[in-house]
Amino acid sequence: MFSVTQVGSWPRSPELLAGLREKRMGRMTDQQFNELADGEIRRCIQLQLDAGVDIVVDGELRRDNFYSFISEKVDGTRLMSLAEMLETVEDKAAFEEMLQTLDAPAFSIRNPTCVGKLRRREPLAANDLRFLRTLTDKPVKTTLPGPYLLTRAMWVTSYSGSAYGDKPVMADDVVSILREELEELVDEGAEFVQFDEPVLTEVVHSGDDKRRTFM
Amino acid sequence: MNRVLDGFSGKLRTGIHVCRGNWSKREDVLITGDYQPLVDCFREMNVDQLVLEYATPRAGELEIIGRALSDREIGLGCVNPRTDVAEPVESIVDRAHEALQYWSPEKIFLNPDCGFGCFANRCVNQEDIAAAKLKSMVDAAKILRSDVL
Repeated sequence: MFSVTQVGSWPRSPELLAGLREKRMGRMTDQQFNELADGEIRRCIQLQLDAGVDIVVDGELRRDNFYSFISEKVDGTRLMSLAEMLETVEDKAAFEEMLQTLDAPAFSIRNPTCVGKLRRREPLAANDLRFLRTLTDKPVKTTLPGPYLLTRAMWVTSYSGSAYGDKPVMADDVVSILREELEELVDEGAEFVQFDEPVLTEVVHSGDDKRRTFM
Repeated sequence: MNRVLDGFSGKLRTGIHVCRGNWSKREDVLITGDYQPLVDCFREMNVDQLVLEYATPRAGELEIIGRALSDREIGLGCVNPRTDVAEPVESIVDRAHEALQYWSPEKIFLNPDCGFGCFANRCVNQEDIAAAKLKSMVDAAKILRSDVL
């Protein structure tokens, strides 16, 4: 009772941020990056164990953000900064104003835009769970972006339309990808998987007359 | 969500986290409104745990979900990931006691309102403060466990 845990992400160190950038630019190999991230995750786990939490998380330290990271794991996606997306939206002024109003940094928040047929090339989180098992015997919470968030964020008509025609058709593949992942996580002995759906509140609290967020 | 979860019931604990944005430390630019309009949606959803924000007044009253969905586990958001001071243990204990009006102790989990760094380049906190907030929750959990025994 009263199990203490986290929602998922942990602050990135300057070294890790530099690593994420170098990897994105292709100046650091996946292996080099993973060695760096392994060390950072070890420290993150130790801090949680020292604090005495009951269910640990890996801090999502390998991820650029909690949903964009899937672009590294799923074919048919392209990581785009919000600034790049600004080029494609019809009402550029409104999009830019939304980002400013929301205090959202256009160049450093990235989106996993669907640009072709989606296929899960590698596990989204199962490898991370396997690594965590080597560090602690405590229960682990694994976090994944939810199907609604992914469908909504990934669909950009000018890029996604040619592969799927319509958003609900793409959503079917998003569901399949998440089910495949869940299957693999269960096989890895996952005890707790949390789906993140932050924009559900926006659906009910921001009407058409109000703003929508960038996600 | 249910299409994703269909067939997995009992194989693992599943949760859904719903917040109001975590990209800025400015409370005024994040979304405001309680969970009332989502009650039916949550009820339909075959998840074991609702991981929700309750450390910010923007999220409304605990009673709304407490009255409607006490059959689920609650991941009680009880520290704000965007502030620079760890919450006093007593405030977390008080919030959890409020949750005890609706949920049994086994169904109550303590967590922050959201992650401490959802966007790598826009982390909303730093490591030492985040660790102090975890410690506050752990200390609160110890008090709560002795309170209910």
